[in-house]
Amino acid sequence: MSSASTRAPASTRRGSESVRRPRPDEEPPLTFDEFLARGAVKPPGPPASPSALDRSPHSRPAAQPGPRILAVGDLTRIVRDTLRDAPRLRDLWVEGEVGQVSVSSAGHCYFTMKDERAQLRCMIFRDDRLAIPFEPRTGLRLVAHGRLDVFEPQGTYQLYVDSIQPAGFGDLALRFEALKAQLAAEGLFDAKRKRPLPQWPRTIGIATSLSGAVLQDMRKVLARRWPMARVIVSSCQVQGAGASSSIVAALRRLGRWTDPQSGRATDVVIVARGGGSLEDLWPFNEEAVVRAIAAHPCPVVVGVGHETDVTLAEFAADVRAATPSVAAELAVPSRDDQSAGLRVLGGRLTGSAQRAIADPRRRLDAERRALDGLHPRAYLDAERERIGLLLDRATRAAQGRLEVESGRLARADDRLPMLLSGRLMRARSDLARQVAALSALGPFATLERGYAIVRDGDGRIVRDAARLAPADPLTVRLARGEVDVRVEHVADSRS
Amino acid sequence: MTDTSPETAPDPQVAALAAMPFDKALAELQSVVGRLETGGLPLEGSIELYERGVALHEHCARLLKGAELRVQRLVEQTGGALRTVDLSPDDGEVV
Repeated sequence: MSSASTRAPASTRRGSESVRRPRPDEEPPLTFDEFLARGAVKPPGPPASPSALDRSPHSRPAAQPGPRILAVGDLTRIVRDTLRDAPRLRDLWVEGEVGQVSVSSAGHCYFTMKDERAQLRCMIFRDDRLAIPFEPRTGLRLVAHGRLDVFEPQGTYQLYVDSIQPAGFGDLALRFEALKAQLAAEGLFDAKRKRPLPQWPRTIGIATSLSGAVLQDMRKVLARRWPMARVIVSSCQVQGAGASSSIVAALRRLGRWTDPQSGRATDVVIVARGGGSLEDLWPFNEEAVVRAIAAHPCPVVVGVGHETDVTLAEFAADVRAATPSVAAELAVPSRDDQSAGLRVLGGRLTGSAQRAIADPRRRLDAERRALDGLHPRAYLDAERERIGLLLDRATRAAQGRLEVESGRLARADDRLPMLLSGRLMRARSDLARQVAALSALGPFATLERGYAIVRDGDGRIVRDAARLAPADPLTVRLARGEVDVRVEHVADSRS
Repeated sequence: MTDTSPETAPDPQVAALAAMPFDKALAELQSVVGRLETGGLPLEGSIELYERGVALHEHCARLLKGAELRVQRLVEQTGGALRTVDLSPDDGEVV
């Protein structure tokens, strides 16, 4: 404050009272003579609208002639009210470069904005300053919003700023909306244009910068989720002048690439960029980039910036991802999911194979049972049963008759029952002979005598030990039951 | 482009399983399981199919377990021809 006083001695008194620091470029206070001279310049006559300087033009007769002498405070108040009455000065945006900046002990911020022709004093009250996300800095181009008003103690007008944006914001926002509307009208963002991502991408194209963490992050995600993939990186500049043509060129390279061996192109392409300011992300709002994404030969996933950033490139993408890492996640299946799916498939494979083999086995068993029914032993068993039944009936018949007759015969002769029973005995032994003869027809009588039938693994009867080798499986059929055995040793069959 | 691709090789049965990509092996495995589940095949056919399925299953599991991500950089040569160059995880800042 004291330095201001030395530079502008005429304002010493008010300078010491004011928080405002007079600028070196501030107009020096007028001397009395200068003031008079200026006053003389003003149109003195009544026709020249004295009301312009009149505080209450309606109360004064317009006819009153001659110059009126105003107090400085009155004049300043008139200027202030005039400014306050102008609607376009109450709510305005102004763009310029920031000059000097200072923050008072009360926390208010004072700065100037300038361009080639003029400069403007600006101030931000403490509360507004704290609410605005960034501070004006010398050299920064910005757009400020506020109202114009007069600071009466200093006789200066200034912009009372309540909001600031980086310069170009308004331009970019307008261009964004205009291009978005145009491309949307063309149908570039239509949902029906969106292509589904391939289920099993073998080759993944990535258009991004080789520098920075973005590629590394995506690489980690892909290596974890789907390491079977091959990744083809087409590097490009992702910010600054020339970024959009670089991105378009990277996409074109990916679009025309095919594997020299298989002739296959990429299955999916990721366009990625990490977070940044609106200007940093701007290339992804450029028409050329948006069109290149929409026209790309394979599906495109776009992951640009953070969750909250929105670019036109994302609207044109087949799949929009919040970040580059999410884009990588979306582009490939998950190895863990596939491992689980593969386990299920393995279980179904074994189960279906077991069932497939069990079916022929069941049929085989059924045929075997049918075959067994035709076997001589079964025939013999049936005969035996039939004969047994006959014998029983015969015996019962004989005994019945015996009992009927016995009363009579008992009295007559003791030999008669003896005779009958002798006949019965003969019949029985006859029957036994018949059964034995029948049994002799099948091989099982032989088995009853202690012989066995030996079959090899293919069910063929083994007749020659020379055909066998140690460990060969054999089945030995005994009179009752079978045993599975293995060959221990083969003795010379000729010895 | 003119090279014969292993994927279009005429003999699918003996197609070198080792070189078969995961998705193809999985698709064939799914078809094998589907045919086995439908049933009605002769025993020999079932067993053959089962063995093929087991080989495919093992191949898929091996790929899932042992695969390592291959990252390459696409380079445009003078004249416009495209070439791929391996890009190790440490590479970067090369623009």
